[in-house]
Amino acid sequence: MHSLFVTGRLISRALFNGIHNFSTATDPKLQQKTEPHLVSAVCGFSKERRIQRLVKGQFGDDAWFSAKYKSTDVLGVADGVGGWRSYGIDPGEFSFHLMKTCERLVKLGRFAPTNPSELLASSYYELLHNKKAILGSSTACVVFLNRENSTLYTANIGDSGFMVVRRGRVVRRSEEQQHYFNTPFQLSLPPPGYRADVLSDRPESASSDNFPVEDGDVILVATDGVFDNLPQNIILNELIKCQGERCASRLQMVANSIAWMARSLSFDETFISPFAERAFANGINTIGGKPDDITVILATVAI
Amino acid sequence: MDTSERFFPVEDVFKMQYLEQYVQSVVHYSSRYNNQLNYCYSPTNLLGKYEKYPSYGDFPEAYFLRSYGKWWRYSGSAQKEYRPQDFDLLNAEDFVTLEFGSAVVPREVFIYEVYNPGAVIRIWGRLSSDTKWHLLWEGFPQKCAATSRKFTPPLRKINSLINILRIEFNQSHLDYHTAIDGVLLCGYQPRTIIKFELIRRGLTQNKLATSSNSATVGYWETNRNCVTLNDKLAFDYINLLPNEIILKVFQCLDLKSLSRCAQVNRRWNKLAQDQTLYRNISLKIYWYLVNEQTLDFFINKIQNVKKLDLSWCNQYQISFNKRLDYDYHCKILSLLEESSRTITHLSMNDNYFVDSDVLNKIVCCKELTELRLHHTFNWIRWPKDQLTKLVTLDLSITNIIDEDLIQILMANPNLEHLVLDLCEHLFMMNSVVETVTLFNKKLKTWSSWKTDSLTSDAVRKFSLCSNLEELDLGWCLLDSVPGDSLAEIANGCKRLKRLILSQWRGATDQSLMPIIISCKDLTQLDLIGIKNISSELCEKALFRLPKLRLLDISFCDGVRQEEVAIWRQQYPHITIQRSCEHTVTDYM
Repeated sequence: MHSLFVTGRLISRALFNGIHNFSTATDPKLQQKTEPHLVSAVCGFSKERRIQRLVKGQFGDDAWFSAKYKSTDVLGVADGVGGWRSYGIDPGEFSFHLMKTCERLVKLGRFAPTNPSELLASSYYELLHNKKAILGSSTACVVFLNRENSTLYTANIGDSGFMVVRRGRVVRRSEEQQHYFNTPFQLSLPPPGYRADVLSDRPESASSDNFPVEDGDVILVATDGVFDNLPQNIILNELIKCQGERCASRLQMVANSIAWMARSLSFDETFISPFAERAFANGINTIGGKPDDITVILATVAI
Repeated sequence: MDTSERFFPVEDVFKMQYLEQYVQSVVHYSSRYNNQLNYCYSPTNLLGKYEKYPSYGDFPEAYFLRSYGKWWRYSGSAQKEYRPQDFDLLNAEDFVTLEFGSAVVPREVFIYEVYNPGAVIRIWGRLSSDTKWHLLWEGFPQKCAATSRKFTPPLRKINSLINILRIEFNQSHLDYHTAIDGVLLCGYQPRTIIKFELIRRGLTQNKLATSSNSATVGYWETNRNCVTLNDKLAFDYINLLPNEIILKVFQCLDLKSLSRCAQVNRRWNKLAQDQTLYRNISLKIYWYLVNEQTLDFFINKIQNVKKLDLSWCNQYQISFNKRLDYDYHCKILSLLEESSRTITHLSMNDNYFVDSDVLNKIVCCKELTELRLHHTFNWIRWPKDQLTKLVTLDLSITNIIDEDLIQILMANPNLEHLVLDLCEHLFMMNSVVETVTLFNKKLKTWSSWKTDSLTSDAVRKFSLCSNLEELDLGWCLLDSVPGDSLAEIANGCKRLKRLILSQWRGATDQSLMPIIISCKDLTQLDLIGIKNISSELCEKALFRLPKLRLLDISFCDGVRQEEVAIWRQQYPHITIQRSCEHTVTDYM
């Protein structure tokens, strides 16, 4: 009799649990909460005004990628250093391959989801071991969104960077790493023999950061073509528009407008750009925008 | 084949799900182009869906084998067959073992080959919880056109579950490295555990009335079809022969035939077990049959053994049966102990069971002149005890560290061939080279592919090894400048036949010129990825080196394709390699 009672209670509990679980599983709010992700859009322009061959993942000497693996969303930009052109080396090639390799490593899952600078480092060493010698140097910025703990992990070398906006305020912005004015930190694979003359920073010297994100946060990852030409308040005004935006096409419109503004201002010879301000602070008297390749990746956190 | 006529596919009896799956993990491999941590050219590129197919070219995203053609077999450090009568008709040189997510009854295998296809010669299948390998397909290496290929060999019809594939390669006919982008296994998956167990245990056999096991011929299995004695001719002439003659004949037999002879009659059985027949033993080509009983059989007959080859004999490596593992390991230990007095040649390439215990036994074999431990990774420190008579030492893809290597080098003054490819734990190559120049004056072959702690100062020291014939320094000086080190080598090593300088990105015409002027015996010259060399240098090399047979100038941007085409016509006896990755647009 006793055993029958116990069994009956177990069965009824199991039934109740089943129903209970079922009802929570269908609750849309609860289900979404477990899956934060990034909604992203990309836009960019090459410095050259004439129309060039378009390759996905490349704007002039800039390169970008976005990829995801299991519980990590990854965005990255890189800006090839243009000085190599005079050595007969295509500066876009290094940045492009660096980003391509990062993308591949992410897709294969060969990275630590909390350590973006390690991804940059391993990507750099992969390039070194390619049969085809890919020479040049590049700045780079990689952002991970770890969905498990809703934390953003970032790594940045040089003057590309990211900016996170929450409810109309900039909550985090990358710091520029420069050796001296207009000479950012850079990853480089110089031709042998030039090593002594070339600035080359270890991939390990990337500045790393991590902080928790909230639903609706806007993340901008861009190359110096954006940050040198657009003052922060203009960028901010645009980014506020897409606070909490889930629709990729509206996000794309904002990305387009940021990239387009940056491009127009970069060719404006009378505009006092952030670049001109900094040049002035360094005792160089210049005015106007800084014509450069422009890449904008815009993303919102959807939780 | 009468068995195939009676074959009754298991999927017709059970309802099963057709499943297509790509590789989940790489279990084992014998050849690798790059370091372990790099993904370029590595075996891990086989994971998941193919990426480059149907493009054709030298892509870092595919899996590359280290060697191609006959060039590696010409090398002085190459292994000579220990028992020539036991040869593999298809001559498997390398293998890769791949694991898939779910066990299926295999019906099709697709191999995506993106560069120099045609090297696959055998496909084996196995269930990870089982120890029996099933041969799914074998065939001669093929000459293929220079396009990418989806290779779909006709598989043997078997009704066994498989989640591990082993692909064997023979690239000796290829012009250049072969590359594989992915492997797809298609087959039927049992839907329930009961069906899974039924198929796994072969209990469907009676129902299907087939003997699917004919794929693998048992090692000591009786093959009764061979013995068809006609009663009228039953008089046994061979029995009149004296034992010595029969033994002489037996000496020419391979192990498989010997095992058959042992089953003829008592006298033959006794003779076939004679110790003199087992002076040289090579079990490499029977790797799929070697188990602890096989080793047990040899333990009694091995007292006078000279050469022993246990390469690839990893029977239990992937199974999860620790007890079998342990038994097998113990047998290897006692086998080495029994043979320690006389053995001179030992090869245990790609053998998972080589660990510090086995190494301790190996260093007790004081007569050893040749030791090959290619790709054995379960040991870290070399034992304190030393071998002293080594002539050939192959430690490629092992965890040997500088300190131990230096001790070995100092103890073996007769060393002639040293292979240290892809040893990633060597950080002080300069002191290793210094030790070699002081203690190993007879050195003929040095190979240190992809050991990047070498500097140009150390390279210069090689000039003191005047007997050097082969020098493989590929990928060693990635981004430093060789300076005058090559000129020094040209001065010191006049007998150089083979020189590999892949990716010496700092080398120039000027630094390479002395080699071309002084080393007249050069037959192979490898200059992959040296951007700075000009076509004049290549022309001089082709013209001035009378014995040159192989010149590799892949990824040398300073040399134009049209010039290579002209040289190929001018020097038809010289193979000029010119491999190219396709341009960026192929990424899309």
